[in-house]
Amino acid sequence: MIRGLAFAVALGLLESSGAAQQQRAPGSGMLLPATLVEAGRIERLERWMRAVARHVPGEQDAAFVEIAGWPNDNLKPLFVDASALVQTIGHAGVNAGATMTVRPAGQKTALRVRYSTEQYHRLQVLACAAGGRMLEKECWQIKAVDELDPELRQIAVLARASYLRGDRNYLVRRAAIVHSDVAMLAPGSMVAPGSVGRPAAGAVERFRMEISDGQELDLHQSAVHWEIARMLLDFVRPRGSDRADPGHDDMVRQWYRATAAWMQLKEDHDKIHLEHARELFPSDPDILFLAACQRETYAGAPIQTAVKSAFLPAGVVIDVASDRAELRDAEAFFRRSLDVRSDFAEARLRYGRVLDRLGKHVEAAAELRKAIGGLTDRQMLYYGGMFLGAAEETLGNRDAARVGYEQSAELYPMAQSPLLALSQLARHSGDRGAALRAIDRLFALPSEERNEQDDPWWWYYVSQGRDADVLLDVMQRPYRSEVLQ
Amino acid sequence: MRRALAGLAALALLGASGAAQQSPAFSSKIEAVRVDALVTDNGQPVLGLRPADFEVVDNGVTQTVDLVSFDEIPLNVILALDMSDSVAGDRLSQLRAAGGRLLESLHKEDQAALVSFSHEVRLAAKLTGDVAAVRSALGESHGTGTTSLIDGAYAGLMIGESDAGRALLIVFSDGVDTSSWLRADAVLDTAKRADVVVYGVSVVSRLKPEFLRDLTSLTGGRLFEIEKTANLPATFLGILEEFRHRYLVSYTPKGVAKDGWHKLDVRVKNRRATIKARPGYLAGS
Repeated sequence: MIRGLAFAVALGLLESSGAAQQQRAPGSGMLLPATLVEAGRIERLERWMRAVARHVPGEQDAAFVEIAGWPNDNLKPLFVDASALVQTIGHAGVNAGATMTVRPAGQKTALRVRYSTEQYHRLQVLACAAGGRMLEKECWQIKAVDELDPELRQIAVLARASYLRGDRNYLVRRAAIVHSDVAMLAPGSMVAPGSVGRPAAGAVERFRMEISDGQELDLHQSAVHWEIARMLLDFVRPRGSDRADPGHDDMVRQWYRATAAWMQLKEDHDKIHLEHARELFPSDPDILFLAACQRETYAGAPIQTAVKSAFLPAGVVIDVASDRAELRDAEAFFRRSLDVRSDFAEARLRYGRVLDRLGKHVEAAAELRKAIGGLTDRQMLYYGGMFLGAAEETLGNRDAARVGYEQSAELYPMAQSPLLALSQLARHSGDRGAALRAIDRLFALPSEERNEQDDPWWWYYVSQGRDADVLLDVMQRPYRSEVLQ
Repeated sequence: MRRALAGLAALALLGASGAAQQSPAFSSKIEAVRVDALVTDNGQPVLGLRPADFEVVDNGVTQTVDLVSFDEIPLNVILALDMSDSVAGDRLSQLRAAGGRLLESLHKEDQAALVSFSHEVRLAAKLTGDVAAVRSALGESHGTGTTSLIDGAYAGLMIGESDAGRALLIVFSDGVDTSSWLRADAVLDTAKRADVVVYGVSVVSRLKPEFLRDLTSLTGGRLFEIEKTANLPATFLGILEEFRHRYLVSYTPKGVAKDGWHKLDVRVKNRRATIKARPGYLAGS
């Protein structure tokens, strides 16, 4: 099968007027009364810390299996408790109060939880370990070191080593990697029971619609691993910074690039993911490129038809706009990407196609010609020939269109799309003989030898993610050492 | 769209001989327009009409009908069948059964071809009088991949155009297009130029089969939206029967432009009748 079958979209609530996507600072906006944290949650948080420290990025080890096995009913409170833990790392030992505020990305209302005195004390102890701050005054004052078992002490040592190297984010980075690994490598664990509808106020929710060939297969709740990972990375403090500032952290940038590329390669779409990435890295040409590609994909028939055919519960909408609206967004993001990196030939190639689809054929042809001049990759040159051919055909430049299609046919002799394009171009020109000759070339392709790699057009909407594995490896490599043994 | 009038006389022979290419008999000096028309009264076909019974108005100019044929010219039946992922199990069996029943019902002089399409368009069986070969190819087709309905329909149209016979294209799809290269409007443009009548069969869903509706309407065919594919054999046979009840009306256009869009109005004189024919054609191609 040439296309991934599943994709996830963030479901906006009609009530929340378009579902504000930006992460808001905890404490702003509407607050709900604090709810008491039930027993057992801090113990689960502790198990989570150990698993995070044991996990080797990219591997499906025992720690990975443990986290992947947690039901969503455990992950949702974990979202809150992990957020509370990371907030506490910065304030361990300080009498900041046992009431914490957490606001899931995209939610209008924040969630307030109140830990008991014992729970909050343990949270502070764990924060001392996770922050590598056992030797600091605040952690001495609460005698944190006396309450750690050998394994937690080892975590504290590893976190300290990281701290001394200038990275105060030992737990946060690794935890984000664990959760993104689970989301990517254990898709079965992403399916969660429960109906799809309005989430409880302030609760983190994720829904997922699975599609095949433009039709909805299933709509269900999804485990909130991506949400936990993003929330954690929002607390990253870059080297030399005393405050969370993930937008200036290279690992966070690499994480978003790699995971967004993976999502597009696997057609596991998540609009919030890239919107948050753009907020953090508004001028990153790669993030802008992937955001544009996502919108271009959303404008394509597989997504548009699936969304139109979906049966959704009352009050739930999928955050996919009309094809033209998505194309206009894609145009803007490609443009911004090219403003930052003018020699980004693949971005220019796709920009040209989007312009053509928007009816800006003259501009499209100019951009496509410019892009082709900077391309060397056979697959990209194939797209260049096809897209330029289409733009020239619309402009009435049939000879130029034919040249484009023929070039693509030469690059991929088993591809059907250039032959269809050549046939249709000839038929439109009134040359039925040439149209028949071109279609005969298609019919003459040996069926038994054809496969899904023959025509790059079939994987155009995932090709932008083709380097995802490399990007993930580069991002994860530094964290494969200093793993808890 | 325009064919030489001389070609009409040669149609039966060409069809019977299975010639796949245009015959030199097609002169470019005298061009004729062919219009397939279904004439009914209260849903029942009206039989026995002659050229003098028809009135054809081409871009507002009344034409003289030269020739009317009814159930005399062999058919070229092209099946363009969706073989994407969703066509599996019972649905695939029913589709094969429908195709098989239709092929069994063809006359000795008729020809058939099979195009299967998923994301990939394949000529599973070329246009041939050897119906058994087509049936065999149908039996080997199976569903996998996404849906390139528009590409598949175009391929079917071109097979219809590859032979001078009277072409019926039946397009079946249980979904909507998700992976074609060709644009719907470009293929509809081709349909306006082609002498191919398209019948569409679509499975009812929340998505409207807009492309198939436009394609069938432009070619004077019909779209069947069925609830269940269990009804497919009856639907396919019904299409063939209806097509055999159509008249092939031919005239040599006079007093109209040689190119561009020609609006057509086909009527039957002096009696009540409902006529289904294509709404026009693109001349000069």
